[in-house]
Amino acid sequence: MESLNPISSNSFGADVHLSTKDVHVWFGQRHVLEGVNLEFPVNSVTALIGPSGCGKSTFIRTLNRMHELIPNAKLAGEVLLKGQNIYAVGVDPIQVRINIGMVFQKPNPFPTMTIRGNVLSGLRLSGKHSRNEDELVENSLQAASLWNEVKDRLDSPAGSLSGGQQQRLCIARALALAPDVLLMDEPCSALDPGSTIRIEETIRSISKNMTVVIVTHNMQQAQRVSEQTAFFLAEDNNPGYVVEAGLTNDIFHNPKDKRTEDYVSGRFG
Amino acid sequence: MTTETLRLVTPETPWRVRSKSQLVYIFIASTLPAALTFLIADQMKLAGLIALTIVFLPLQLLAASLAALITVGKRGILDAILTVSVLFLMLTMGFLLGSVALSLVQKGFKALSFHAIYQNSFYVTSVTSLEYGGLGHALVGTLVIVGIAVIFAVPIGIAVGVFLTETQSRMRGSVRFLSQAMTGLPSIVSGLFVFAFLYLTGWVQRSAILGSVALFLLMLPTIIRLSEEVLKLVPQELRYAALALGAPRHKAFFQVIFPAARSGIITTCLLGTARVIGETAPLIVLVTYLPSTNFNPLSGDMASMPTYIYSWLKFSTDLANQRAWGGALALMILVGVLFTLARFFGRKRF
Repeated sequence: MESLNPISSNSFGADVHLSTKDVHVWFGQRHVLEGVNLEFPVNSVTALIGPSGCGKSTFIRTLNRMHELIPNAKLAGEVLLKGQNIYAVGVDPIQVRINIGMVFQKPNPFPTMTIRGNVLSGLRLSGKHSRNEDELVENSLQAASLWNEVKDRLDSPAGSLSGGQQQRLCIARALALAPDVLLMDEPCSALDPGSTIRIEETIRSISKNMTVVIVTHNMQQAQRVSEQTAFFLAEDNNPGYVVEAGLTNDIFHNPKDKRTEDYVSGRFG
Repeated sequence: MTTETLRLVTPETPWRVRSKSQLVYIFIASTLPAALTFLIADQMKLAGLIALTIVFLPLQLLAASLAALITVGKRGILDAILTVSVLFLMLTMGFLLGSVALSLVQKGFKALSFHAIYQNSFYVTSVTSLEYGGLGHALVGTLVIVGIAVIFAVPIGIAVGVFLTETQSRMRGSVRFLSQAMTGLPSIVSGLFVFAFLYLTGWVQRSAILGSVALFLLMLPTIIRLSEEVLKLVPQELRYAALALGAPRHKAFFQVIFPAARSGIITTCLLGTARVIGETAPLIVLVTYLPSTNFNPLSGDMASMPTYIYSWLKFSTDLANQRAWGGALALMILVGVLFTLARFFGRKRF
């Protein structure tokens, strides 16, 4: 299927940071994602919406080469980070993942580490060094709006935090590596409204100097945080594809496709 | 107003409260069978164990089922039968374990004393008083032989476990199959294999290391299997979290996965050690018992706890018998000490 309405850099007025060219995904023989062409401008927030099982999470995992960790995973097409294909031969997936951070659906702080240790784990794990670790811990936790709640117990285990705090700790952990792009796979689906609002505030503030891609099932959230939106859909065992992509305002208030209109107005999905 | 009422409220467990009629039935069901068994056994002059299994168990099952039928209804019957069976089996096992431990202590403690721990049995015969000699040489021997086996089996076993859980290699199936097949290796076969493969070929001279190799072979599959199970328990999300932060595989393993599995890995080493520490057959085949102390695993005979026990069992005197029991008790205590130490070091930090 021909992909419709790729987001054009001109419509947003900023340079393209990350883009995909005709990305197809298979698990074994099963074709799950078809012909995705999307562009993510510098320092923008892009929401990926669509019903369950349409391949949003699969797609976001292709953007930082986490996809290949699943056995039987296959892929075709290109993912370009600043024009460079991250799947090109010789590109180090480790470097890609350092540049493109990720926050998962379920909070997954490292249970054997302290809060401080979790924030610094990215440095330790990727072999980077920081001149001032205390400052980095504070800045990252500030950016994830968790600092005030944990500043007096940085050495307690990460497991002692609540679910919402754990998720913000995971965001702080990703931010500590200062990635260019942050991928978030339904980061608020397990959280209460209060934590959700705080994470949305975090997203808005980090997007001043970071490109954010967020998968969400919450249509209000997509409208609140994102500048552009892509609507994914998979019909009857066919691979998922992008029905429509564009500025968030247009997708929600002036959709070109009937299916987008039905979805954003809650008629299905 | 609320503070006054709140103070009167006490914590309760209403789901555990039983009615009076229920209590009566439970009382009858738990005393009547025992009383009947006493009467019948007394009348028919039955032995205790026979009365317990042939008379008491069926009576108790029947009584519990009837009581459950009356108080709960049909669905209570299965519950009652299972409860009685499990309790019966539990008590049986507890009795067996307790009697083993009790007889070990009763018969063995006379042969154990402070000097018995560090002295060897070089001048000791089957009629020497227990004031002289001990099992120090066997303790040293077991620690050396088992220690060498542990030093090699633990890293290799864990490495194979890591290979099975952390890689996508196509060889995993066959490696898993082979290690499972090895689990069933009889210990005597392991001993004979080492005897034929290392000793008869002349590659290794007569020494304690032969025993270590045999124990290594017995230990390895246990450690592989258990470390695989333990590593599988580490949530996949943690692996993804580490890799998404740009961790190379080895750093993700050492900094995230291994710490998360640490206490399980220590249990694995323990169970592997427990598997071989009392192993007798390969040591009888490979390492000849020596009544004096030998620290060198590369040459000469060496004593070990199982062969120490076995060597005294060959004599029929009371004193030799007591020394054998003392050895058994010391072996049990050694295992207990090792387990306690490992539990202490393996406890969860958080």
